[in-house]
Amino acid sequence: MPGRYLAVGIFIVAGLSLFVLGIFLVGNRHEAFSQHVLLYSDFTDLDGLTKGSKVRVAGMDAGQVTQIHVPDSPTSRFRVQMRINEQLHGLVRTDSIVTIDTEGVVGETFLSIHSGSPGSPIAPPDSILQSKPPIAISDLMTHGLGVMDDADATLKLLGGKLNTSLDGVNVAVQNANDVLVGLKEGKGPAGMLLRDEKMADQIRDTMTNVQSTTSSLKQAASRMNGIVKDIQERQLPEKIDGTMTQVRAASTEANSTMQLVHQSLNQALGPDIDGVTAAQNISETLTNVNAATGNMAEDTEAIKHNFFFKGFFSRRGYYSLSSISPGQYRRNKLFVNANGRRSWFTSDALFQPGVHGTEELSAGGRQTIDAAIASYGDAVFQHPIIIEGYSDAGGPADQLARSYNRAFLVRTYLEARFPFVAKNVGVMPLSSTPPPGLNHDHWSGVCISVTEKK
Amino acid sequence: MSWSGRVFESVGKVGAFSARVLMDAFRPPFEIAQLSRQLAEVGNKSIALIVVSGFALGAVMTLHTRNTLVTFGAAAMIPAVQAVSFFVEIGPLVAGLLLAGRVGSGIGAVLANMRASEQIDAIESLSIDSFKFLVVPRVLACVIALPLLTLFMDFAGLLGGFLSEALASRISPELYLNRAFENLQWSNFIAPTLKTAVFGFIIGSVSSYFGFTTNKGAKGVGEAATNSVVIASLLIIVADVLLIKCIFFLFPDTAI
Amino acid sequence: MTISPNIAVQFKNVTKAFGEKRVLNDVSLHLEQGQVLCLLGRSGTGKSVTLKIIMALMRPDSGEVWVDHENLAGLSERGLSAVRKKLGYLFQDAALFDSLTLYENLALPLKRLTNKSKEEIDDKIHHVLLAVGLGSDSAKYPSALSGGMRKRAGLARALVLDPKILLADEPSSGLDRITASEIDELLLRCKEQHGTALIVVTHDVHGTRRIADRVAVLDRGDLVAFGSVEEVAQSENDVARRLIAE
Ligand SMILES: Nc1ncnc2c1ncn2[C@@H]1O[C@H](COP(=O)(O)OP(=O)(O)O)[C@@H](O)[C@H]1O
Ligand SMILES: [Mg+2]
Repeated sequence: MPGRYLAVGIFIVAGLSLFVLGIFLVGNRHEAFSQHVLLYSDFTDLDGLTKGSKVRVAGMDAGQVTQIHVPDSPTSRFRVQMRINEQLHGLVRTDSIVTIDTEGVVGETFLSIHSGSPGSPIAPPDSILQSKPPIAISDLMTHGLGVMDDADATLKLLGGKLNTSLDGVNVAVQNANDVLVGLKEGKGPAGMLLRDEKMADQIRDTMTNVQSTTSSLKQAASRMNGIVKDIQERQLPEKIDGTMTQVRAASTEANSTMQLVHQSLNQALGPDIDGVTAAQNISETLTNVNAATGNMAEDTEAIKHNFFFKGFFSRRGYYSLSSISPGQYRRNKLFVNANGRRSWFTSDALFQPGVHGTEELSAGGRQTIDAAIASYGDAVFQHPIIIEGYSDAGGPADQLARSYNRAFLVRTYLEARFPFVAKNVGVMPLSSTPPPGLNHDHWSGVCISVTEKK
Repeated sequence: MSWSGRVFESVGKVGAFSARVLMDAFRPPFEIAQLSRQLAEVGNKSIALIVVSGFALGAVMTLHTRNTLVTFGAAAMIPAVQAVSFFVEIGPLVAGLLLAGRVGSGIGAVLANMRASEQIDAIESLSIDSFKFLVVPRVLACVIALPLLTLFMDFAGLLGGFLSEALASRISPELYLNRAFENLQWSNFIAPTLKTAVFGFIIGSVSSYFGFTTNKGAKGVGEAATNSVVIASLLIIVADVLLIKCIFFLFPDTAI
Repeated sequence: MTISPNIAVQFKNVTKAFGEKRVLNDVSLHLEQGQVLCLLGRSGTGKSVTLKIIMALMRPDSGEVWVDHENLAGLSERGLSAVRKKLGYLFQDAALFDSLTLYENLALPLKRLTNKSKEEIDDKIHHVLLAVGLGSDSAKYPSALSGGMRKRAGLARALVLDPKILLADEPSSGLDRITASEIDELLLRCKEQHGTALIVVTHDVHGTRRIADRVAVLDRGDLVAFGSVEEVAQSENDVARRLIAE
């Protein structure tokens, strides 16, 4: 019966076509027929990542995890091999960072390769990319209210401490003023200093610094109060652990800073037979105060950078660039603008080695900055100013930390010396690579950029 | 004989019968014309049943899973859930059970009727090996047709799921297909589809056994049909468990 | 017992039992070529089993069965196949293949057991169907045929290979007298035209008296009478006498 054979033939052919279609659709998704690149990354915690998990490059499906090498000791890390589509390889640079992410709350775990900076070379095949440990949502949830209570207590403690410290600083500054008045009137063993105009200027300068420290501490205290209130209002069951450690550190730091101030002033005011030595004492100790208060302010800045408080600070009007990565900043047309005014300073011109192996602004550096700000005219106070820090010493992490520290020192100085609106001044650590198109391929030092609104 | 003794005896008989099918399937003469006739009977005549139930099942599946997935913010996973569940389990198992119902009862009844009305004797009287002529083509037809029918079921289910989802969220066919096959791997498409060949063998040999070996005359016909469906369905579900374990063993990636 | 060289079928002390139940008990009978043997007996006495043993569809538990000078017990599957080719079998309920048309029912034996060409097969089927009076029904399925037509169709299938020996299981039972005698005519014509030996299982006394050269009567497995119609009519056995009585 030919009719029967025809029907059976159609049935079989249709079924086999569906089979081929299925194989094609499944195979298509896995790009079995396209070119691939193998890359690696190391993780201490896989957070459920398995062989076959998806890999995304800049959010686009790019391949899968092909192998996981399990470490043989707790100190070494999991080596993850991933296979990504050749087409997306161009987005993966040597400074690309790999993170383990989760899709939604119940979704599956996948690897995210964040696209690197355009200046860095394309990551060669079989190279190892940097990784960042995963943020475990479950951790945040289990911590819940315990963290809240902890945060509350810590912040209250911190607020109290800051307030007492401020009182201490006020008293200290008052005392310092008295000394200066005494000096002017030629009383005491340091009276001879009056004849040295330069020394008098320096003392005035340092006193200004003490005052700026005071205002910075006041600011910090009101921020802390704000944070406490905010947390209490919002009942945020989120990961505050890290933040808390930083806040605690900041509070200890504030304490020790204040002790330093007291100690220094006590030393300066204490009876001394040799007048010259006393003057040097004052100058030296005030420098110490500067350095210490710089640390203090840095700590508050560190708090601001924490992702948790990011929204908090920006809502309160503290302009923060922390939400923008250096890479994004370099590409951003608003910040990197040929029309904007830029002043480039080398590190030698601004900084000198400080007490704890850190850097601090040199006297010459301050004058250089003053001169630059003066050249901008009054208009500078209305425009956003970004202080870009650069450093080329040490490894990538060192460069980043140092460039941040440099930008930060300049900003602290500017805010204390000139009437800048705090939210208008931002810092941006750029390691050693300035944004493209500015005729500077490589820099170590600071660049002050005034962004003119059009 | 005790109840359990009879069970073991039946198991042994079915086993020997299946072994004979396997051996005869590879020994000439091959009854090609009979095979084609049975393929038309098992395959072509089951397509409508399979496609319509697959479609309806697909639509219903989406209606049920949709709410839960949307609650978890996983609306994007609806196509993937649909595809994975159909290709991995629902398609193979439901197609197997439907075929056990439609074809298993048919084979059981037809063979029992042929036995009762001496048609099998008539075939033997022509010096035709009735086992090769009647049983082997039926079993082979089931083995060949069920994987193909499973594919019809899979894609009909996907189509049903798509239409149901498209009515709810206006998703485009391309996006649906992309998302549906995103989480499918070759091993969870090919292995479950091919495992239905085993289901087909179970349906064919179990129902042939009951039909071919009955000797109770006309009243054996209904009994053979019922036994075929019940035992074949049961064995399919049991075999499914074992086969899934085998697939996990062969393709460890598919284990969740 | 003298045995002529013209013997078509012979049973020597054949015994057959299903489990505990003895269906044939030490049965010995024989039939010469070109003769008609009518097998009588009440239902369930082993008449159909006797035919199936001849067709080698069943094997006896003991005793010998000779068909056309061949001992079935000693034959291979191929030898059995050769013997079966010489036999035609009309089953009790015709046993036509439900899934095949009448034409296909008749073509199957020809295709399987002969090397005839398509034309020869068509020709043969046409003739046989005409002979049984079903010339215009070749495309019908068995389910579309009446009881009498099915019997005749079964007979046609049994005759399509021109058998030397024809086994007919109740060819006329359940039919009206006219149809029954038509079938008897057909059987007689086979015997007369082709010299076929016939073993006919029947309950029809008139038919038996018309066609039988020999009569065998089975009762609960025993062969209680064997001989010509007259001999059986005067048998000592009560059952045999009553079965053949008009
Ligand atoms: N294949 C079989 N298995 C078991 N018993 C059978 C078989 N064939 C026939 N019998 C039994 O043998 C006896 C004789 O059957 P049969 O020859 O068909 O009777 P009848 O003389 O009416 O044709 C019956 O009791 C029947 O039950
Ligand atoms: Mg009978």
